[in-house]
Amino acid sequence: MSWTNVRLIFLRELRDQLRDPRTLFTVAVLPLLLYPLLGISVFQVQQSLRERPCKVRVVGTAHLPPAPALVQDGQFAVPHPAWPLELEIVAETRPSQRDLTEAAQHDLELGLCDVVIVFPPDFAEQLAAFRRSQPSAAPAADAADADDAEPLGADQVPRPLILYNAARDASNVAMQRVERILETWRQTLVEENLRASQLPVTVVRPFEPQPTDVAQEQRRRAALWSKILPFVLMVWALTGAFYPAVDLCAGEKERGTLETLLSSPAARSEIVWGKLLTVMTFSIVTALFNLASMIATGTFILAQLKQIGAASLSLEVGLPPWSALVWLTLALLPIAALFSALALAIAAFARSSKEGQYYLMPLLMISLPLMMLPLLPAAQMDLGYALIPLSGLMLLLRTLIEGHYAEALRYVLPVSAVTAACCWLAIRWAIDQFHDETVLFRDSERFGLGLWLRHLVRDRQEMPTVAESLLCAVLLLIIRFFAGLMMPPPTSWPQFFTANLIVQIALIASPPALMAIVLTRRPLLSLGLTRPTLLRTLPAAALLAVLLHPALSTLAHLIQRLYPLSPAVQQQLAPLVEHVARQPLWQVLMLIALAPAVCEESAFRGFILSGLRRTGHRWGAIALSSAFFGLAHFMLQQSLGAAVVGLILGFLAIQTGSILPCMVYHFTHNALTVLMGRLPTDPGAWPLPLKLILQWDADQAAPLYGWPALLVATLAAGALLRWLKSLPCRQTSEEWLQQRLQREERRPAHELAA
Amino acid sequence: MIDVRDLTKSYLDLRRGALVALAGVSFQAHPGEVYGILGPNGAGKTSILRILSTVLRPTSGQASVAGYDVLTQPAMVRRQIGFVSTSTAVYDRMTAWEMVEYFGRLHGLAPERLYPRMEHLFTRLQMREIRDVLGAKMSTGMRQKVSIARALVHDPPVLIFDEATSGLDVLVARALLKTIAELRDQGKCILFSTHILREAERVCDRLSILYRGQILAEGTLAELREQYQQQDLEELFFQLLSQRDGQSGSPAPQLPASRPRIAVR
Repeated sequence: MSWTNVRLIFLRELRDQLRDPRTLFTVAVLPLLLYPLLGISVFQVQQSLRERPCKVRVVGTAHLPPAPALVQDGQFAVPHPAWPLELEIVAETRPSQRDLTEAAQHDLELGLCDVVIVFPPDFAEQLAAFRRSQPSAAPAADAADADDAEPLGADQVPRPLILYNAARDASNVAMQRVERILETWRQTLVEENLRASQLPVTVVRPFEPQPTDVAQEQRRRAALWSKILPFVLMVWALTGAFYPAVDLCAGEKERGTLETLLSSPAARSEIVWGKLLTVMTFSIVTALFNLASMIATGTFILAQLKQIGAASLSLEVGLPPWSALVWLTLALLPIAALFSALALAIAAFARSSKEGQYYLMPLLMISLPLMMLPLLPAAQMDLGYALIPLSGLMLLLRTLIEGHYAEALRYVLPVSAVTAACCWLAIRWAIDQFHDETVLFRDSERFGLGLWLRHLVRDRQEMPTVAESLLCAVLLLIIRFFAGLMMPPPTSWPQFFTANLIVQIALIASPPALMAIVLTRRPLLSLGLTRPTLLRTLPAAALLAVLLHPALSTLAHLIQRLYPLSPAVQQQLAPLVEHVARQPLWQVLMLIALAPAVCEESAFRGFILSGLRRTGHRWGAIALSSAFFGLAHFMLQQSLGAAVVGLILGFLAIQTGSILPCMVYHFTHNALTVLMGRLPTDPGAWPLPLKLILQWDADQAAPLYGWPALLVATLAAGALLRWLKSLPCRQTSEEWLQQRLQREERRPAHELAA
Repeated sequence: MIDVRDLTKSYLDLRRGALVALAGVSFQAHPGEVYGILGPNGAGKTSILRILSTVLRPTSGQASVAGYDVLTQPAMVRRQIGFVSTSTAVYDRMTAWEMVEYFGRLHGLAPERLYPRMEHLFTRLQMREIRDVLGAKMSTGMRQKVSIARALVHDPPVLIFDEATSGLDVLVARALLKTIAELRDQGKCILFSTHILREAERVCDRLSILYRGQILAEGTLAELREQYQQQDLEELFFQLLSQRDGQSGSPAPQLPASRPRIAVR
């Protein structure tokens, strides 16, 4: 690939986009206008809420006790914040309280007043009676008084009515204010009552909690911004990528300039990289502009609101910490790369810009939940979240902004690996779209489900297509997930045995087998069930499994140490560990080693890998199939280990031209793990050869390979892998073509110039 | 210079399965000649030319340009050709000068070679007045000139014109045919596809008549006239097409056995 061409294409596309007023509007003008406009409207709303007085009607002021006063000179006499309140006082509740209540309801609905307080006619008397009836008030009083005062219950206290209309915001605000005023008045009443009965005020307030926020102001601000900023960044990175991508792919198809470019010397990968860099630039610039505009406007408006003392604003406001901006900018690169590549691949598929615009929605629908997930209060950085694309990155970003660097460091590796893998896949997909003439020269065609199904069977090819193998992989994951939810947890060994065997045969082996029969012309070849090119590879596979077992089981131990299993999972796994150690060996081996070896291999190294190989990228196919293999294990700590084993198995399948060696490897690997799990917990009881290569790990209560054994075995495995690599292997025609094209691309520049 | 052997191309159609656009086409074109591909709409002309410009991949068969294989050495092939077709448009938001410069640089021309070459082309194609005009503001004729300048900027040995005169007025079309004749005289190998018989008569040294993905007849005009005892090209064309329609009961041609999917290295 020539970076000179990439640069040329990038600069041209950039200039082309900059000459398009629509792009400039979305990237630069919109964010500069949007937030100030939003800010102004929020400001206006706050202003109008502040200035509009709450209309409060107090009915029955004549029945209020003379002291302490609630209302005086047409105002509340109780101390309260400087709220604009407009009081309407109705002294008497006669002719009837009911009529007044009805009138109040009517006025509330019309908005003539916001809240109505109705004091019953005997309010003051009731209060006095209540005060007298309290036993604590009695000791100093004479006997005659005590006689006519039956102690009143808490449910008999006088209850003034407060009418409001929850459907109206103004009424809600007025209600809150009136409640606070009445609360203060009640406190005063209580204090007077206590004073009257010569009791200290501390009787009703034995203690006073004092909330103290230990977070520094910096951290408080970080916590606020850490939730908003990553989300805003991602949404704008996606939007900023999408419109240029549509214009650069579907738009060019529409205008007929794509074929001009395709017939120029620029390679497809150079075209994609050039366009990708352009889209990325717009994605990054859009996100940064929006971020800057939002922070500036937000800080300004919030500071203004604080200054004028908007009541509801108890937030700590200010610029986000500088470190946050650094992390955001750093994270923006992979985010923009991922979204740009996705947008480009999708846009390449569209026939016209209009069709391209339709695809924005599905892309948003998939990305938004992933972006929203980390906003949930329960979401916390852990291995599970770290492995979810976008969500992991967002949580890592949040952890970094909040300043928990040690915590973030633990998850940098998985998050970067997942993000890098997603970026790579998306870019690969975009390049493949540009290689695919059925995508570039797609005509509109009448579509019908029947037509399509007939086409699938009628035009089926010898081997599965890439789409069919991807479908198979996704189906396997979905079926297993729902089956896992629906199956009751087994209680005994026979139940456990049957359930797992059913899962292996019905849910893992059958779907790819059926798909191979219906969708391909050579089902056995599609499933990889052929004789290996060399029969020697069968014992070699067993030997390889033995030699690599120390390295792989050490890796599994490391993963468990770094990301320990939760107690709940450990409890779930306990019966399995118990069964493996106790039940008859042949049954355990059949269930844990033989069934997965046969079923999982025919699915992942069979149908799925042979379909993915038709992309022409052998290692890409191996990596993707092992990622699916890992995902199918459902338990994170196991998935990581399985994905690594998947890489070796995929390599084995391709080098030997059959999945039989993979089955041998898989069986041997699992059998060794089972046998290690059945070793006595006392290392003294081990036979001598085992004592030489194994040691007891007290931390995890499991046997572990010693360093010398690990080193020797891994070196020997390396030699064996080299031998396997030297074997003649069957290439698909796509791989052959890719290899030739890559060789051609690597041709030195001076040769091209000549 | 251009060597096409047993070229086939089929497209997948949801309704009818594999649609054969080319069913084993073979021909050679040499430097210093204009090779015409004459055929009605849908005969497979564009498929051949798109395969030669490496925009499409052949289903089977071989094609090479200046000794480079279109399937395995597409980048080298694209350096040898200048491709002008109705579907290779001009960028709307680029001026004529910028557009030709862009493609010249993509071809790896150093500035000291590129700019004199561009000056020469702009003068020769009488494009001086549209030098700084944006593509969006150009007439069809102007755009075609820019396309030709774009295809010629790296001075390729092979030029491919796919229905290049369609949509042009008589004056511009005549000028284009004249340019093609001049290029031939400079020793270029030119592939010229058209469905307009008069144009073929005027510029082509040799031509083949393509119909439903197969070549029905090939030779110089004189050879064809002699072979089919028909002086008028239009009559000859019509006669061949009706003969072909009469021969085959089933209109859709069949592909030869497809190449094996698996090859052993």
